[in-house]
Amino acid sequence: MKTWLKKRTKAQIITVCLLLTGFIASMIFINNNYELYDRTIVHITDIQEISRETQTDTHGNEDERVIQQIEGEIKNGPDRGEITTFHNEYTQSLAIDYELSAGDEIFLAQDGEATGDIKRDKYFVFVAWIFLMILLAVGKSRGALSALSLLVNAVILSFALDIYIQNPSISLSLITLISIIIFTILSLLMATGFNEKTYTAILTTLLGTGLSLVIAYAALQFTGEQGLRYEEMAFLTRNPQTIFMAGLLIGSLGAVMDVAITLSASMFEMYEKNNHISLATLKKAGYEIGKDIMGTMTNILFFAYVSGSIPMLLIYFKNAAPFGFTVSMNLSLELTRALVGGIGIVLTIPIAIYLSIFFIRRKQARL
Amino acid sequence: MNVLVLLAIILFILMAWIGGMKGVRSFIALFINFIIVLMAVFVMNDPSGNPMIIALIACGFISAVSLFFINRVNNKTMLAFLATIATMVILISFIIILTEQSMIYGLGEEESGEITTFNVHIGLNFVQIATAVIIMSTIGAIVDTAISITSPMREIHEQNPELSRKDLFLAGIRIGRDILGTSTNTLFFAFFGGYMGLLIWFKDLEYSIGDIINAKVFNDEMLTILISGVGIALVIPIASLMSAYYLKKEKKDIIVDDKE
Repeated sequence: MKTWLKKRTKAQIITVCLLLTGFIASMIFINNNYELYDRTIVHITDIQEISRETQTDTHGNEDERVIQQIEGEIKNGPDRGEITTFHNEYTQSLAIDYELSAGDEIFLAQDGEATGDIKRDKYFVFVAWIFLMILLAVGKSRGALSALSLLVNAVILSFALDIYIQNPSISLSLITLISIIIFTILSLLMATGFNEKTYTAILTTLLGTGLSLVIAYAALQFTGEQGLRYEEMAFLTRNPQTIFMAGLLIGSLGAVMDVAITLSASMFEMYEKNNHISLATLKKAGYEIGKDIMGTMTNILFFAYVSGSIPMLLIYFKNAAPFGFTVSMNLSLELTRALVGGIGIVLTIPIAIYLSIFFIRRKQARL
Repeated sequence: MNVLVLLAIILFILMAWIGGMKGVRSFIALFINFIIVLMAVFVMNDPSGNPMIIALIACGFISAVSLFFINRVNNKTMLAFLATIATMVILISFIIILTEQSMIYGLGEEESGEITTFNVHIGLNFVQIATAVIIMSTIGAIVDTAISITSPMREIHEQNPELSRKDLFLAGIRIGRDILGTSTNTLFFAFFGGYMGLLIWFKDLEYSIGDIINAKVFNDEMLTILISGVGIALVIPIASLMSAYYLKKEKKDIIVDDKE
């Protein structure tokens, strides 16, 4: 331990100390921020189960309905410090309700007689710290840059959506387009710095995304969007088509960037190792790498999109909904996202190869 | 024609054109993985089963298909497979505690509105289902990172057989650092693209920051993204360690064999 500590540089020790202080301070803050909320927060101190009965629905699904008597201390507002009691009702499957236990902190519903929501801010902050620390532990300064780039992108996205909501005259497509250009340039510059492989990757990403947009749009127009079930798109306050198209583009952007930078970085590296490498060899090597990453990259998008539908699929099946109906209602949009993302990934491979070769050829000519 | 069929055909043609036989295999793997997900959902329908265990088994099959079917069985895919499974097992205990504590299971108020005609008290354990969803969302990225480390590590080992175990491990970590940023980026944009509607919803309905940061759907999404990031970061040392250990051990065995 001592030798290990000795090997660390001063900067590393300071970083660790700063991180730990930040972690502890923010955890203390987030666990005591009751006064920041208008909604009444209750810290539960005692739980008693009042009743438990079995219920069966028309499809034969058995579940247990439980009523808990909750006693807890009010943590904020004018009644702070007072003890309150209320009933919490839940079913054992916990699809839309919560099983409470002593120590939990909850928001009281408006009427003060039931559970409104759970105070989750502390978990969010906790996991964000774990994420940051693991990223730093494994990736060091590169990890810090990736975390920073995620944060910057999130802020830009939020800002772009603010502009969209405040100015209904500006179309979402335009805002998405501009955001995509900013995302691409910033993320790739932060990932690999100012050099030719980054510029190649930026150009590749924009071309690849643009081309997959054209293909997706043409396919949607050609089929008249037959088979897309927008009615099941959750959280809608606006026209589903535009939101869906915008999400489609942003969703595949990360994967397309990943493919673009992987290919351009390895091709430029090959060129740097051997300045007189033939373009045919480079092209062949590029295709080999492309073939290797194509399968796993499409898989990433596929699982990221499809897995989220599992709870809904189960609810549909348990309510005896027919198979085809269930799948098309819950998976049509997710599968479209995964397929369009896949098309983007695969198209990016030749674009990255030819653009890299184009720039490498120019460099070779200068030699 | 159905949009999905048309898009699938376009994807198939592109994969076959650019990737040749390997591209065709990648497309078939995607299709098999879809069947595995559907099968897993069917098995989860049985209330006596444990959705978390089912998801873990499904993940085993999925990584086997993604690794062995596309790239054939060899020591680099085998190492990637073992690293993936080890990461999953470590990650799952963290996920289940978090899901239970933060109560992000089940459907949020924003989601349950759309299925008022359905009964949601279906006797399945939604805490475990939520855990299952988080692991399955991450599996693709973890498999990808694992193979991206074990495969160049073998090459490095073959080119520099004299490299010590520790140096080999550090080489793996360095490769990992290069892909860490892009992999987390991939997932990050995928989730944000999928939840554009939710973000606009929050802004349209003027949720305060306090409302958003405590909302179930928001935490469900954010925790999934962050945990995926943790998974990607975790698989890097695990895959590097396993490869370094295995490749050097293999080497020793050969020397022993020579002596005999």
